[in-house]
Amino acid sequence: MPIVGTDIFLFLLRHWKLLVPLALAFAAVTMLLPRPRHRAIVWGGVCGLAALILAGCFWVRWDNPVSPEVVLFYAFSGMAILGGVSMIAQRNPARSAISFAVVVMNTCGLFLLQAAPFLMAASIVIYAGAIIVTFLFVLMLAQQAGFSNADDRSREPFLATLAGFVLLGSFLLILERTFPDPKHFSEFLSRVETAAQGRTVTEITTALGDKEAFLMEVKREARRYRGTDEGIKIQQGLDDLMAGWEAREPNAAEMQNALATILEAGRKIQERNSREDLPAENVAGLGRTLFSDYLLAVELGGTLLLVATIGAIAITARRAEKSA
Amino acid sequence: MSDPDTLLWLVPGFPLAACLITAFLGPALLRRYSHWPTILGALCSLACSLLVLLSLYGSTIDHPEFHTSPHTWFTMGNFKVAFALQADALTAVMLVAVTFCGTFIAIFSTWYMRDENGYPRYFAIMSLFLFSMTGLVLANNFIALYAFWEGVGLCSYLLIGFWFQKPSAAAAARKAFLVTRLGDAGMILGIMLLWSQLGHSLDFTDIFFNARTRADSPYLTVACLLLFCGAVGKSAQFPLHVWLPDAMEGPSPVSALIHAATMVTAGVYLVARCTPLFVLAPVAQIIVACTGAFTALLAASIAVTQFDLKRVLAYSTISQLGFMFMALGAGMKDKDLAVVGASAAIFHLFTHAFFKALLFLAAGSVMLSMGHVIDMRRFSGLRKALPVTHWTFLCGALALAGVIPFSGFWSKDQIFDAVLGAGESSSPFAWLYLILFIIGLLTAAVTAFYTFRAYFRTFHGEEKIPPEAYQHGGHEVADAGHHAAPSAAVSDHAEQKFETYWAQKLPLIVLAACAALVGLVCEGFWHWLTDFLGRATSFRVEMPAHHVDYFLILVSTLSAVGGIALAAWMYYFRPGIAERIAARMPRLHDLSSRRFLFDEVYGYVVVGPLKIAALICRFFDGIVDGIVDLIGLSPRVLARILQPIQNGLVQFYALVMIVFLTAFMAIFVIWFNR
Amino acid sequence: MIPLSNYLIVGAILFVLGMIGFLTRRNLILMFLSAEMMLQGVAINLVAFARYHGNLHGQVFTLFIITVAACEAALALALVLMLYRSRRSLDVSLWQELREPGQEAILDLDAPPAEPMIEEELPKLTPAGGAPASPREDSHV
Repeated sequence: MPIVGTDIFLFLLRHWKLLVPLALAFAAVTMLLPRPRHRAIVWGGVCGLAALILAGCFWVRWDNPVSPEVVLFYAFSGMAILGGVSMIAQRNPARSAISFAVVVMNTCGLFLLQAAPFLMAASIVIYAGAIIVTFLFVLMLAQQAGFSNADDRSREPFLATLAGFVLLGSFLLILERTFPDPKHFSEFLSRVETAAQGRTVTEITTALGDKEAFLMEVKREARRYRGTDEGIKIQQGLDDLMAGWEAREPNAAEMQNALATILEAGRKIQERNSREDLPAENVAGLGRTLFSDYLLAVELGGTLLLVATIGAIAITARRAEKSA
Repeated sequence: MSDPDTLLWLVPGFPLAACLITAFLGPALLRRYSHWPTILGALCSLACSLLVLLSLYGSTIDHPEFHTSPHTWFTMGNFKVAFALQADALTAVMLVAVTFCGTFIAIFSTWYMRDENGYPRYFAIMSLFLFSMTGLVLANNFIALYAFWEGVGLCSYLLIGFWFQKPSAAAAARKAFLVTRLGDAGMILGIMLLWSQLGHSLDFTDIFFNARTRADSPYLTVACLLLFCGAVGKSAQFPLHVWLPDAMEGPSPVSALIHAATMVTAGVYLVARCTPLFVLAPVAQIIVACTGAFTALLAASIAVTQFDLKRVLAYSTISQLGFMFMALGAGMKDKDLAVVGASAAIFHLFTHAFFKALLFLAAGSVMLSMGHVIDMRRFSGLRKALPVTHWTFLCGALALAGVIPFSGFWSKDQIFDAVLGAGESSSPFAWLYLILFIIGLLTAAVTAFYTFRAYFRTFHGEEKIPPEAYQHGGHEVADAGHHAAPSAAVSDHAEQKFETYWAQKLPLIVLAACAALVGLVCEGFWHWLTDFLGRATSFRVEMPAHHVDYFLILVSTLSAVGGIALAAWMYYFRPGIAERIAARMPRLHDLSSRRFLFDEVYGYVVVGPLKIAALICRFFDGIVDGIVDLIGLSPRVLARILQPIQNGLVQFYALVMIVFLTAFMAIFVIWFNR
Repeated sequence: MIPLSNYLIVGAILFVLGMIGFLTRRNLILMFLSAEMMLQGVAINLVAFARYHGNLHGQVFTLFIITVAACEAALALALVLMLYRSRRSLDVSLWQELREPGQEAILDLDAPPAEPMIEEELPKLTPAGGAPASPREDSHV
């Protein structure tokens, strides 16, 4: 499987919209990570801001209706990300802990948006309430001066950030491939619909537009949903269509049938992608599930907590001095 | 006990048992008594051999033979090697010679080796040698013979290098082994050729039977010559004779047993055994005869100028072996002549065993008494100091020179008879045989000369004893100290007795008696021995009637007496004249005393290229070793390179993991999204 | 309605930020906080999938994640305390003994010398029961 340099370059170029904000974010984080000298906070901040703005431009679909849900989502996510960056870039560990608290708050907001009220509450209580407070205690115990030399420095900032952002890039690429723009898809399907209604070959071909481009698009869709029933149907339709189109005497009826198959499969996919929301009052249901389906896990979780408590005490218990 | 099977297995069995007992129990248990198993084993073996001889002699069959039932040793497809013993007249005679000499030489060794640390080792190897030698003559197929052939070679190596800490001894042992190995290479080729051409069998009887239909075939000639190669190596003929003089580094009893009486005669035995083959290959026979004659003359001419007594005797051995081969080669197509020649050779082998062993033991007696000094220039006039040695040496010398009625005379006479018969036969090479006869006569004269040169130089003249004689054991000193000062030696010189041990004197006396009488008694004018030899199964013809050639007797006696007279004149009546004569022929003398530069030539021609080849091989070996070392080094180098990854920082470890995971995922994603 | 992928993106970003923080920061507490942030990202993912599929499995899973995170925090802090007691510092790069023998420890090149522990002069009282320093001092009443 030879991956030639030009292949990679072309690939990256194709997805530039995805990668430019990522690159700016990478630059920002690298510059913001603590260093003993020459720490470019201002430039880091500028890059980070630019990254956010570009991400907003390229990644967000602005033609969706603006509802409170959408606004809240972007607000929570933005603040969570900013809090995350702040946590890893702060020199003072106490401030990092506070930033983490901010992250947890915003994550809980996102939980709330996704109809998980119990989780929100549990997260706030446990994370922000217990874990972070314990951490702060330990910090106060250990580093009364605030921050030490170790906090001033990072271990391999460039390489770690690069690895992280390449990983993020691959995540985003996979996500983009798996969850394409639904507008795109509905446009494609409407074209197929109009073409399927055509009677003669010429009508069909004009409705479909450029032959090569259309075929390429169908192929891409077939590949995207490959493995599913709908994907198989689309592939079938594509084969029939190509057979009919490239025969010496194109048959309109055949092509119509093929297009109808494709349309049917596409509509099913669209239907599947739009789902009902989860009802928000699901705490009782959550409780019922926990104590019926997951009873064993709950009990084990409890035992685990007990063991952890005993373990923590056992580890830190100072042995009584045996000196006379 | 008279069951031939058991008897035949016992003959090599006793020495083998003695060897095992001495080897395992000797160093720890027996120590100074380690000689008993060997002597007893040899005696029992001698008894069994005599029984075999008498049973065969008394048998009414024309060509009597004892077999044991054959056991299969191993099989490789078509190649089947059995293991059985067979004894016919030839074997019986050889067995008696071997075991008799072996017994008395073992007795002598108890005196000679008594101060040595390796006493048990010596006797163990000597027993092993007796086992191998008796097995060799008892073998009934070529491969078993070859196995025992190598066995005697091994024992020779071990015994020559007995004092292995001495570099010259170790080198001499190696030389002996390697030079005989060259011969053995030819021999095994010959054996294989015979196997492949003559019916895929290795037994003597089968091969001799199948060969009768293949007279004059070139394969047979080549096979015979290859077998003769082995004989050349083992019996120290030209060009492989260079190992025998060096083999004198071993103890004198070893030289007596192995390099005079028995091992070196194995080659003669082989050719005699294969007489049916050689008879069908006249070209091989003439080559054998020529080699023998040439070697005889060569060795005799070297022996004339040597000062080391044992070296003189070594060259004398080579020369006498040459005589034996000359007789063996005198067969030609005539089967009668072949029988005569072969039996003459074996008879000479028989008598030579006795008188040469005697001479070597006497030399050993002289050497040990003189404190390991064997250079004849450093002692003389020992006839008063070593009387028994003196008279026995004289017996042996007379036998070697071939003076009537000593045994050497009878056997040499028979050899000349055979060669002359070949010379007068109707074969195309008859003229060559006549030339060989003349060479033989000349050599006999020279033999008498150098033998008595040694005798006169050692035992006559003014008495001169080297100082080492008084520092070593081998004699009783008036005061019981081993390290008497030389100055004290002069005063108690009259009280020195060099010959006090019966173990020193008995073997000498017995062998001297044999040397004097065996020829007369066994052969004389009634030809018991050669008639008996004629009944060996190899021959299959009747021994022709013997006729007494008085002219021949006269000529050979004249040559012997002439040589003795010349030696007496130069060394007894006019001592000192030898140096003047040598000064007049400096080049010849130099060439002879430097042994015709054979060792030097071999050093350049054979050893030099082999050393270069060894250097080249070592170079390639170094390359291969270097490659292997490199392969062995690469994990270490790789480890050095990769070691810094383990720097103890947890975050670094996590980073490495993440980096590789990320890289993998990125490649995955890009590849699937092309 | 906000599509699923949005939430997944947010989750991924938080996860990656947490990972970067874990790999970079040298304070033990901060490393742990970054690990917790990674868990937050995962929690967002799980809850989003729960809503997408219309059931509560994701939320249950997240609940258990929180439970386990709590246990983990307790034990981790106990261990951090033990480590702190040995070296009097929360720096993770002080613990390099498990490196290959023959390797040198990686030290900060430009670290200022360790500040000496300033022993504060605590006030000393006279031992109880002992006479004061100047017994003849009059008390001005």
